Amino acid sequence: MGHHYSPRFEWAGMVFDIPTMIMTVVTSLIVFLLILGLTRNLTAGVPGGAQNFLEWLIEFVKGIAMNFMDAKTAAKFVTLGLTLFLYILIGNQLGVILNVNTAHYEVSESFMDMLTVSNTAEEAAEKRAHIEHELAEGHPIHVAWWKSPTATASVTFTLAIFVLLYAHYLGLKKGPGSYFKHYFEPNPGIFPLHVLEEFVIKPLTLPLRLFGNIFAGEVLIVFLLSAGLLASPALAVWLAYSVFVGAIQAFIFTTLTMVYISQKVSHH
Amino acid sequence: MLDFGAISLEGGTMLFQLIVFLVLIFLVSRFAMKPAMAVMEKRRQHVANEIETAERSRQEAEALLAEQRRLLDEARLEAKEILDRVTKQANDEAARIVEEAKASADRLKAEARAELAREVEKAKAELRDQMAGLSVMLASKIIEKELDEAAQKASIDQFLKQVGDRL
Repeated sequence: MGHHYSPRFEWAGMVFDIPTMIMTVVTSLIVFLLILGLTRNLTAGVPGGAQNFLEWLIEFVKGIAMNFMDAKTAAKFVTLGLTLFLYILIGNQLGVILNVNTAHYEVSESFMDMLTVSNTAEEAAEKRAHIEHELAEGHPIHVAWWKSPTATASVTFTLAIFVLLYAHYLGLKKGPGSYFKHYFEPNPGIFPLHVLEEFVIKPLTLPLRLFGNIFAGEVLIVFLLSAGLLASPALAVWLAYSVFVGAIQAFIFTTLTMVYISQKVSHH
Repeated sequence: MLDFGAISLEGGTMLFQLIVFLVLIFLVSRFAMKPAMAVMEKRRQHVANEIETAERSRQEAEALLAEQRRLLDEARLEAKEILDRVTKQANDEAARIVEEAKASADRLKAEARAELAREVEKAKAELRDQMAGLSVMLASKIIEKELDEAAQKASIDQFLKQVGDRL
């Protein structure tokens, strides 16, 4: 299995990964269409199947939040929790359902530029040399177009940093005094640990847990796919397990988001 | 852009992801949460209302039942009173009528008895009168006979004549 390259482009000093952006949009669209489908014919009377499912989803997410907050506070974060849960859940499953990879035996100059986007010219040259070496050996260059967005670190880090910053913002908004006081509780000596937890451990563990699980799952799927017919039973088992892991990881991410928010908005 | 091979963080991808995710939150809020929460709240209120109404109806029904029971008891009591009173009245009336009838009968009896007595007395008096007349008459006849047979004869004749005249 050859090394995966991803077509990227640079704009306004920033690097954009094209397949990840495609999957982000696809996942968001599916979530949005699902929501649209579920919210048709809403009634205050006896709800139908779709509405039942939507209400069950809302109650489910609210239930997660209510494990750590009172009902009134929990209600404020149901929208965020529901969006996170659906986005991650559906995103996780997309890479299990389908993988679209292309193998390139020839790479045009403009495509080569996209595959070798890097911070420095040296890195770009290194990548280019590697690709040219692979092609010269007759190995194809694999490009993954369809995968779980959550199998991309940029996506999970964005989600995690967003919810963590949101939690800090909520804590500061609620009361800057108690927010800062918390760093010195129960003992001022604990301050470095608090800082480490808030600004290193949480921002690393939250996104890496999700990314690691989904990325590893997809790597194994691709490996089993390439292993041929003999690996089919193992592939079937692993696909089923990946669906389960995808659901569990969505639940864990949502739950931890609620925990981190509750730590900032609840009185201790 | 941080690049560790499989783990690479690209600022552009992250910015794009953030924007798309914020839009998605807005869409979920606008199209799912707001309408769903609205109908759920409406249903919650509806259910609360229904429960309240049912509770109120139950209390009303209970109050009504108690009122009905009270009225029924009252009516029953009243009916009993009326019946008692009427029975007593009827008994009194019956007794009075009997009493009156008895008195009336007694009076009539007494009257009849008095009348009878009076009649007897009257008959007695009449009889006495007649007896006296007859006695006198007989006595005078006897006396007359002793005095004069002829005259007696004549007087008997006269008497017979008199009787004959009367007949």
